Amino acid sequence: MTTAQGRTGRRAGPGRAPQTEIVVDGDSVQAVDGISLAAVLVGERRWSLRRNPVGGDLRGPFCGMGVCFECEVTVDGRPGVRACITKIYAGMRVETATEGEAPHDR
Amino acid sequence: MTAEHSAATYGEVVERDVVIVGGGPAGLSAAARLASAGLAVTILDEQPELGGQYYRRPAPAVARQWGDHRPEGGRLIAQVRAAGAECRTGHLVWGVEDDGRTLLASDDAEHPVRLRARYLVLATGAFERVFPFPGWQLPGVTTPGFAQHLAASDHTTVGDRVVLAGSGPFLLPVACSLIELGVSVAGIAEAGRPYRPSLRALGTLGHPARLRELASYAARLARARVPIWQETVVLRADGRDRVSSVTLAAAARPARPVRTVEVDALCVGYGFRPQTDLARMLGCQVRVDVASGDAVPVTGAAGRASRADVYVVGEAAGIGGVHAAKARGLAAAHDILTREGRSAVPVSEARRMMSARRRLARFTALTDSLYPGPAALLATLAPALPADTVVCRCEAVRAEEIRTTAAGSADGDLNATKAWTRAGMGPCQGRECGFAVAGLVRSVMPGRGVGDGESRVEIFPSRLPVRPVPLATLLELAGPESQKGDA
Ligand SMILES: Cc1cc2nc3c(=O)[nH]c(=O)nc-3n(C[C@H](O)[C@H](O)[C@H](O)COP(=O)(O)OP(=O)(O)OC[C@H]3O[C@@H](n4cnc5c(N)ncnc54)[C@H](O)[C@@H]3O)c2cc1C
Ligand code: FES
Repeated sequence: MTTAQGRTGRRAGPGRAPQTEIVVDGDSVQAVDGISLAAVLVGERRWSLRRNPVGGDLRGPFCGMGVCFECEVTVDGRPGVRACITKIYAGMRVETATEGEAPHDR
Repeated sequence: MTAEHSAATYGEVVERDVVIVGGGPAGLSAAARLASAGLAVTILDEQPELGGQYYRRPAPAVARQWGDHRPEGGRLIAQVRAAGAECRTGHLVWGVEDDGRTLLASDDAEHPVRLRARYLVLATGAFERVFPFPGWQLPGVTTPGFAQHLAASDHTTVGDRVVLAGSGPFLLPVACSLIELGVSVAGIAEAGRPYRPSLRALGTLGHPARLRELASYAARLARARVPIWQETVVLRADGRDRVSSVTLAAAARPARPVRTVEVDALCVGYGFRPQTDLARMLGCQVRVDVASGDAVPVTGAAGRASRADVYVVGEAAGIGGVHAAKARGLAAAHDILTREGRSAVPVSEARRMMSARRRLARFTALTDSLYPGPAALLATLAPALPADTVVCRCEAVRAEEIRTTAAGSADGDLNATKAWTRAGMGPCQGRECGFAVAGLVRSVMPGRGVGDGESRVEIFPSRLPVRPVPLATLLELAGPESQKGDA
């Protein structure tokens, strides 16, 4: 299990703010209740969320405002959820899609 | 979810006096005024909370622990709710029905919603202007706005060691937000030379409001010893699965490296572009601003578009900052109330508002003039873009392909280039690459586009849906028959 506490210094420490537990690719992750899913993932330094369907290279959140679709993940079985405009809640199950082909030479 | 509404089996229909798309400063200002005057108002936003970009709300747990960075936003939202406006968050407005007046939306459970109103107010805001460079698609490369949202509303750092780059005043407050969270900002690369002779000199210019604000950011950055590299642009970002370094170049010679900096995040943006797709889809006239290459709706003083029942307000009507956005929202509300014969605005208040808006416009022009204009930027950056740079992130289309197609089969036509190469055809609808693709096309066919008279300026057209719509929504919208057939 990774906890935000362990990342203090890498991201601003969670202090006493109430924490919520979500599950990311099977790992239990603690984060401040109600923040955006993109913030949880970036705070954990889990940047790669998917592969580009054309080139196969890894992608992560870019615009942070719902425009680029680079942060799409599957949430509680629903695909194509933009992590940057989604707030976390207790028990949320998140799947990224980073498996698969490595990108061709670039 | 705030508003009570049942998810009808297909196509819930909403009829109101006023429907407002976008719950940022502009939409909220309009909603508060209209609803408190007694009109039936619905305000929609695709985000889970109202607030838009500037008033993006921190999670309650964050606000309690670290404070609310913009409490006035919370107050404005509360005012809108108290006035009785129906607030629909998690609602994406993705298109317009064939009748040209019914908005098509999907709610937070992906059910379709149709909305009709006597007045439509479009307050869809802006998105960031980006320009590609090799490696910009690496995880860890983001817009400055993303870093700002992470810091301000989620109290999360985008990285431990960050370079900010691009152009415009927005880079300074973002750098300050990062420093406040203990991030090491290795430097700010600004494409222009706005800070003369030094950053601190801004404060002596004697212009209140926006410039003084800039000067205070500048002072904080100077104290934190954050270098500002002027006339400097990103040459490329490197890293395996994630960005690990950025190489910078002089803006005048964008292909020659001058410095490489190790980073774990890189945030690059060149200001903002108005989000005008819904206005265009509703048939509102737009003009292309020659200096920026952006589409701007043609509006009257109160934001009334070429269609009398449609208003475009806030940054969707042109970039001008939060105060201008709020003033435009209010002006539209007043215009609607006057047309409705309700509580006409006293002449003195109207006059005050007019002069406030003129003052704001002057400040915007002044700040804008400090930074290189987007068209000038394109003219230097586009020709220097290396051939194998991924320009369209969605469809992975490279610079060379765009240049070759533009000069060849597309004969310098932007939309033909798009159709041939698929650049701009992905889920972001060309919002991320549109600026660059236009620049590339222009750079190989200098006879076309901006600088050649307004009639020849080209931008990607607005396309339905404005964002990908869940299949479930479309099926439900089409009615039970289509779902049966599908099962
Ligand atoms: C990422 C980002 C961060 C920014 N941060 C700052 C900052 O820190 N300080 C600053 O001074 N300025 C900032 N700005 C500039 C900002 O745009 C303005 O200051 C201000 O927010 C503009 O207000 P607005 O009401 O016009 O639009 P916005 O605040 O952008 O609000 C528009 C709203 O419309 C919604 N919307 C758009 N299209 C649709 C649709 N089709 N369906 C449903 N909803 C839709 C959006 O979700 C958004 O909430 C930022 C801009 C961006 C893009
Ligand atoms: S980061 Fe761009 S849509 Fe989420």
